[in-house]
Amino acid sequence: MPIVQIEEVIKIYEGKVTHRALDRLSFEVEDGEFLAVMGPSGSGKTTLLNLISGIDRPTSGHIRVAGTDPSTLKPDEAARFRRQELGFIFQDFNLLRMLTVEENIVLPLTLEGMPIKEMDARMRAVAKRLGLADILHKRPDEISGGQEQRTAIARALVHRPSLVLADEPTGNLDSHAAREVLDLMATINRENGTTVVMVTHDPIAASYCDRVLFIKDGAYYNEIHRDDRRRTFFQRILNMLSLLGGNVDDLSSVRLP
Amino acid sequence: MTFRQFAYRNVVRNRRVYAAFFLASVFSVMVFFLYSMLMFHPGLGERFITGITVVGMTAADIILYVFTLFFLFYSMRAFMQARAGEFALLLQIGMERRQLGRLLFLEMLLLGVASIGSGIAAGFAFSKYFFMIVRELLDLPELPLYVSWQPFALTAGAFLSLFLLIGFLSSWIVRMRDINEYRKGIGASADPFGYSAAKAAAGLLLLIGAYAAALFAGRVNVLYLAVLLPPAATLGTYYFFSHTVLWLIDLMRKRKSIYWRHARLVSFAETAVKIKDNANMFFIVAIVSTVAFLSVGTLASLATYTAQYRALNPLGLVYLSQPDNPDEQAHITSLEKELKQRGLAYEEVRLTVVREQSSYSGQPLNVLRESEVNRLARVLGREGIRLKPGEGAFLPYSPDAASKLKGAEIDTVLEGSGVEVAVRGTMKEMLFPAYALGTNSIVLSETDFIKTASAHADRMYTFYAFDVPEWEETVGIGLRLSGLMSQASLDERPEDLSFYFENPGSDYAVIRSTFHLLLLTGLLVAAVFLLAAGSFIYFKLYTMLDRDRRQAAVLKRLGFTDREFVKIVNRQLVPQFFLPWGLAMLHSTFAFLSLQAIWKDLADLSIVKEMALVLVAFTIIQLLYFYLIRWRYLAHIRGPV
Ligand SMILES: Nc1ncnc2c1ncn2[C@@H]1O[C@H](COP(=O)(O)OP(=O)(O)OP(=O)(O)O)[C@@H](O)[C@H]1O
Ligand SMILES: [Mg+2]
Repeated sequence: MPIVQIEEVIKIYEGKVTHRALDRLSFEVEDGEFLAVMGPSGSGKTTLLNLISGIDRPTSGHIRVAGTDPSTLKPDEAARFRRQELGFIFQDFNLLRMLTVEENIVLPLTLEGMPIKEMDARMRAVAKRLGLADILHKRPDEISGGQEQRTAIARALVHRPSLVLADEPTGNLDSHAAREVLDLMATINRENGTTVVMVTHDPIAASYCDRVLFIKDGAYYNEIHRDDRRRTFFQRILNMLSLLGGNVDDLSSVRLP
Repeated sequence: MTFRQFAYRNVVRNRRVYAAFFLASVFSVMVFFLYSMLMFHPGLGERFITGITVVGMTAADIILYVFTLFFLFYSMRAFMQARAGEFALLLQIGMERRQLGRLLFLEMLLLGVASIGSGIAAGFAFSKYFFMIVRELLDLPELPLYVSWQPFALTAGAFLSLFLLIGFLSSWIVRMRDINEYRKGIGASADPFGYSAAKAAAGLLLLIGAYAAALFAGRVNVLYLAVLLPPAATLGTYYFFSHTVLWLIDLMRKRKSIYWRHARLVSFAETAVKIKDNANMFFIVAIVSTVAFLSVGTLASLATYTAQYRALNPLGLVYLSQPDNPDEQAHITSLEKELKQRGLAYEEVRLTVVREQSSYSGQPLNVLRESEVNRLARVLGREGIRLKPGEGAFLPYSPDAASKLKGAEIDTVLEGSGVEVAVRGTMKEMLFPAYALGTNSIVLSETDFIKTASAHADRMYTFYAFDVPEWEETVGIGLRLSGLMSQASLDERPEDLSFYFENPGSDYAVIRSTFHLLLLTGLLVAAVFLLAAGSFIYFKLYTMLDRDRRQAAVLKRLGFTDREFVKIVNRQLVPQFFLPWGLAMLHSTFAFLSLQAIWKDLADLSIVKEMALVLVAFTIIQLLYFYLIRWRYLAHIRGPV
């Protein structure tokens, strides 16, 4: 049973120049899958995540996420849907600077009015798992980038969502911290069966996933599945990227904000 | 592109960041200009000889000037915070700090010239209406629009100097800072809970102590309190905003059962951030608002002087003629004629006054006649008196004196005529105030008075008392007599005059207009403070808008509903608006409570009602302002990131 179904989705941005950000895109994500989405800059990856999470609506086509169509929800229902079913991880972490690590993690739970004891227990469990137990009372400014991203992951997992959406989670991390974060995400995906959709420019990050989906100009381009050997998977991703056009360096270069 | 063009484009491109700053400057320029127009008005000069109004308006102008200086300085610093990123970039691509300084200076000057121009234009456009309002308030016949270079020059000069000063300061500050300070980004400290518990407690104690002391203010200790309380309350207020509030929020934060609920996590922490970031500003807003409340409240209470004044001056016109006054008949006839011309009903009572000498006190003593005094009492609708021969009674010169002299028993001999009098008590109510006859007057029975009078044919004064029911309408009657009186007092030869004339209606009109003018001045200054305070808040919100927007986008993704989001915004805006405000209210309430203690003794004026009215009016304005700014802020923050 797929947890995400995208069917013939078109997204057109109206403006001075109308822009077709997604063009008849269709694909599915299986429950428990770890999917990478790759594509050149401006190909519509962030737009896709926004549609899946109900932040934005498709111009036409159908979307189903965990049995609901987020585009049919009223704003308040969409918000509730997000905080119950979805977890977010961002490129620039987006922790609230004035809250401590502990408070940042527990934030999604407070909205649900859960008993304090249970919130505390869940927060501690996930923090321990992500190696944050010692820095719970620090603020984001006092910890490293890798720790920040791990805090953000903890925040995305603490309410046990059925789907985690990550937009270039390793884009702002050095290679060591990036590997740590990717290992964690892969472990959590494997052990908890949490479905993860991760947008990335980094072929190494993509090689941690079960499947890589390539889009170009908002349309489905190709996909490749992981086989047993990670090395060849990585090589195949590189090949596909060079086929996509533009060289690899261009794709994985750090973007200016 | 020349450097000047670059500066020009920078302002134009940053116009949204500048908008609040610009509008507030325009408003201050406008108000300043309106005041100046009033101050230089040719029609006011003749009317308010007192000079107190000129002093009041000059003071208002100076306060406005100083306050605007402060406001501009503060806004300028907030700009620099908001634009730290831009500065870092400019410095990084090789701009010299000297050049950055010049850029800022030119920007300030450009903004200054623009706001001076717009402010004066807006002020001039409004001045006609402004004069209409002033005319209504001051009861003036007319206050025509006039054109003179003075208000323009004063406003332009004052504000140009201000903006130059601010421009120099900003370029100096920018040159002092290191590029790394910009790279880090000056501004919103991430740790909202850096406070000192000792200072937090000190702030609370100082405030509570000051309030308690204000409650026990009496006539005896009020002087000490006036010296001690304001500094204590000021320091307390400072600690309150920079430490106590954070401490209180932190206390709450430690209770997870309160803090980990709904949107509180975000809204409390966010409130703490905003308060910490703006503590200095809130402190100043609170103090300035307190001062504004106090001055407006005091002025409002003075403007309700009417009842008091009438009780002290029950007569419409007063004319006292000395024995050798050749113009007596002419003066009285002209007064009567003027009253008739105006169509004012009046009743005239003529009283004979003999200036005697009392053996008891050795002081001069005015002696009046029972039948004449009773006639005046009847005309005024007050109680008369019955005296037996040999008896006398005091004529009270004020309502207070009437109760004080009630039980007085004095036996005296009138030295000129040898008449013995037993003075027993006083007339029940006062008939005329002290200024015409002095404070020492008695009324004698018919027989005794005739005896005294015959001994003093040369010391008989005539006192003309006019009762005019529409006493406020007598403005301008007897203008020539008043002129003669003020001329004599200017020449320092009042003894040359053989009469004394008083027109309480005219005096009252001047007093009232003066108070109203001062009240108007106070109100406008308070309005500027109010607007500036609101602009500060808006301005600071604006400078942190990028951060707030990004945060709003994150919250939206985390699943905050719109209602929860508005709640967060409310929770952080309400304290910003109403905490300085509420504290100012408390301050002024307690200050007025202690003022009431002395005020009551000085004059029997109750100021509670006026004060309540002023506070309610201010609160309504503040509420409107809150909703306006919340609306704008929400619109901005929900906009695209
Ligand atoms: N709100 C919007 N209004 C108009 N056009 C938009 C909007 N958001 C995105 N676009 C356009 O849609 C296209 C896809 O944008 P999107 O952000 O999805 O790209 P992306 O694949 O995430 O790129 P990147 O890898 O650089 O993050 C871009 O050309 C962008 O300019
Ligand atoms: Mg993107």
